[in-house]
Amino acid sequence: MAVLTLDPLADLMPRIASGDRQALRQLYQATSAKLFGVCLRILSDREECEDVLQEVYLTIWRRADRFEAGRASVTTWISTIARNRAIDRLRARGPLAYADQVDDLEIADGSIPADALLASSQDAQALGRCLGELDERTQTVIRTAFFEGVTYEALAQRMDTPLGTVKSWIRRGLLKLRGCLEP
Amino acid sequence: MSEAELHEDEALAAEHALGVLGAHERATAEHRMAHDAGFAGLVEAWRGRLAPMFAIIPAVDAPAGLWERIERGLPANDDGLEPRLAFWRRTAIGSMGLAVAGFASAIWLFMQPPLLVTPDPGPMLNARLDASSGAGGSPLFVAAYDPLRQTMLVASLVPPGTDPGHAHELWLIPRDGKPRALGLIPAGQSLSMVMPSDMAALTTDDAKLAISVEPPKGSPTDGPSGPMVAIGALQKI
Repeated sequence: MAVLTLDPLADLMPRIASGDRQALRQLYQATSAKLFGVCLRILSDREECEDVLQEVYLTIWRRADRFEAGRASVTTWISTIARNRAIDRLRARGPLAYADQVDDLEIADGSIPADALLASSQDAQALGRCLGELDERTQTVIRTAFFEGVTYEALAQRMDTPLGTVKSWIRRGLLKLRGCLEP
Repeated sequence: MSEAELHEDEALAAEHALGVLGAHERATAEHRMAHDAGFAGLVEAWRGRLAPMFAIIPAVDAPAGLWERIERGLPANDDGLEPRLAFWRRTAIGSMGLAVAGFASAIWLFMQPPLLVTPDPGPMLNARLDASSGAGGSPLFVAAYDPLRQTMLVASLVPPGTDPGHAHELWLIPRDGKPRALGLIPAGQSLSMVMPSDMAALTTDDAKLAISVEPPKGSPTDGPSGPMVAIGALQKI
């Protein structure tokens, strides 16, 4: 399972931690389009996502020494930070933000085809395969939750389904997912 | 993996990693991550399981000029760097990894860009305010303070509609022991408050936060007029 992958961005982190602006700029050039894409899926607002990116790179500037190579790739680490920041802003809009896109659920992950994971890295293939073992409805709510960062409440309203039902779909789905990923 | 349901902590960690929790549960989960390495590890593991989905999100070019804006907002690292690094080394918890992403969003109410950028604003702080009756159980309020933005966020975990005839007033109790009023926190709500500079200077890791029960418009006096129902010390994150 432990596959050694060389992460070309990992070398930048100690330099950023020591206050090297040029290194942060290189990281920005390599990753900003990815982070902007991650943020836009959640907030659908370019201006807010500019603010999010500013916060994310400021966080990296202050905390680059916390990055542990080998635990996650730099891209994953900072994508997670960006996604969390974007969700924080979404929560500030209230629990039902994006709850009314009722018709959108089927196409919720829009341009991302359901089998895209299978064509990606090894980890992604494993996750894609395991998601594929879930029933379609569960798959869709988990993907929507991940890509859009919406609350249980918003998902329940969109699907016109009681909150408790949506919650148990997701919990059961995540349990199966874990079992499939780590047999 | 024969259990039919996820263990409660594991389920909460998975839900937090997936991002389906509402604002209050999210704040509580963040707070718990900061103080409970086991729980933080569960959240990290779930973030790791779900992370491959990032790979298929299409990249979108960030607007021109954003780098310049980011660079202008960077604090000068030369002055503040060494003490800050020393701080993080001291507090490094073995299994942080992705949890730093949690720290990042512990300040989930800090929506505005930084008001003020200083070389070393000091560490972020947080507090859980437990019932001062010592009854134990869940915290009644959680708070986090970002010195960079001089902003305090407070979430009331009191069910909305509780005791509608009274208000909950938040107090900062610095080292001198004299409570300073910070504002009213409606039951069940979360607030983000920018602190005046004199208050910000008192918001350190030897201060406490407390909640008193007051008339609907707040304490009519300088200090708390009703009982202190919850209290907690500010701690470095």
